Amino acid sequence: MSIRLLSPVVLFLLLVFLIGPFLIIIAASLSAGDTLAFPPQGLSLRWVAKVFTIDSFRDSFAMSMFLAVFGTLAALILGIPAAYALARYRLPGSETVRTVVSLPIIVPGIIVGLALLRYLVVPFGFNITLALFFAHTALVLPYAVRVVSASLGNLRSDIEEAAVLLGSSRLGAFFRVVMPNIRGGILAAFILGFVTSFNQVPVSLFLSGPGVRTLPIDMLGYMETTYDPSIAALSALLAFLSIGIVFLAERFLGFSRYV
Amino acid sequence: MFQNRAEALALALPAAIFAAVVFLLPVAILLSEGFRSDGAWTLAAYTDFFSQTLNRTVFFRTFRLGLEVTAVSAIIGYAAAFAIVNLPPKGKGRMIGLVTLPLMISPVARTYAWIVILGRTGIVNEAITGLGLSAEPLRLLFTETAVFIGLLQLFLPLMILSLISALENMPKDAIAAARVLGANWFQVFWKVILPLTREGLVVGGTLVFTGSLTAYITPAILGGSKVLMLETLMYQQVSVANNFVSASVIAFILIVMSFAANILLKRLATARNRR
Repeated sequence: MSIRLLSPVVLFLLLVFLIGPFLIIIAASLSAGDTLAFPPQGLSLRWVAKVFTIDSFRDSFAMSMFLAVFGTLAALILGIPAAYALARYRLPGSETVRTVVSLPIIVPGIIVGLALLRYLVVPFGFNITLALFFAHTALVLPYAVRVVSASLGNLRSDIEEAAVLLGSSRLGAFFRVVMPNIRGGILAAFILGFVTSFNQVPVSLFLSGPGVRTLPIDMLGYMETTYDPSIAALSALLAFLSIGIVFLAERFLGFSRYV
Repeated sequence: MFQNRAEALALALPAAIFAAVVFLLPVAILLSEGFRSDGAWTLAAYTDFFSQTLNRTVFFRTFRLGLEVTAVSAIIGYAAAFAIVNLPPKGKGRMIGLVTLPLMISPVARTYAWIVILGRTGIVNEAITGLGLSAEPLRLLFTETAVFIGLLQLFLPLMILSLISALENMPKDAIAAARVLGANWFQVFWKVILPLTREGLVVGGTLVFTGSLTAYITPAILGGSKVLMLETLMYQQVSVANNFVSASVIAFILIVMSFAANILLKRLATARNRR
């Protein structure tokens, strides 16, 4: 019986610990004062407004958006065929392929970033933006393969065999029969990849240069020099952005089924 | 199953080659750098690394914090997961949503919140000085405790979610049966719940432990240069000291620790189940 009474207390404390800090960030960002404080000194939207006037945030936001959207698309373009081959073909060395494409999830991102800086950017004068793009693609690739694989696993393979027997080409069967059925999984993989890439820090730490910087890295730098509520405001805005995306995804395609 | 081998390779190879060239190869070269000196293979960089007190401190601190965060998140995780699983369906769905929510929010934003809470003019210090418990604000930031709290908040949801699915897969009446047969709650947990949810605990534990070992943002923001962990030390070695050999040593240690944790815990889960 004591356990039944304890449950609400446990859950309340859990929510205070997990969600509380996020509410405090929102409150701090609405402060009218000049320094970061809680409770906020008066209410205003001046720090939220200020976020939009800082040029470097605008640039790094655009960079992060670019990497998250196109890095994830590239990972899907590479990952969907790989997932399909792993699910539907008797492939020699399929375990090796699976391991190689899923390694970026296990190896810490900071190592990947440093390795690309040392052996791609520095010796070959490789473009930093391109290196960042590659790094983010590699980072998202394991998620793309895993989520699309799961989606393919739920789809019976005999319907595409039927399509081929009925005269469709293999490619035609893929686009007309398989694709419509795994659309939800692909979209889920895209959202998961987008959020992962957008929030990623370690991989981008070393891959920054003049004018090339992702938003989280920019925030870390700004934090070191300035102690005003604008980072809180930006954090709150970003949190709402992520929550909005995930909420819409859950609403319209039951995102959590795929992840 | 299709049999065409050429087709299969054409589909799978672009991804594999991309990952190998962009990822595997550069990382392998980076790791080899720590074992080479003047064209010969050597372990000198490693003995050098561990001969320095700071490096040893950081190594053991990272390891210790990883263990502490994993242990505490397992304890809280069981209490929380058990409470959530026993909620009515609607409440359960909402709670799972609220536990998942932080995972979608930028870790930079989540960690930054602790500055507002633990900083000199933060909530905790305002309360302490306001209540007259201390005349001066306490130094809470840039301590190991701050890093511990930040890591716990970051990774606790992963543990809870793993334990929720483990508890849901447990036979529903096992706990009731044990209770009827006279077991107290401690025995129920130790003899029934723990053995039946071991795999979920291992999955959650691996995620939390490797996540804490390889954390960068939390020690960077909440620990600063006072409480370095392996990744922040690595960043410092590169950007301040320009010491790539030392960075390579740290990279190797991080990779070995993550892989070892993965393998060890997996073995632990299966070995116990065989009994």
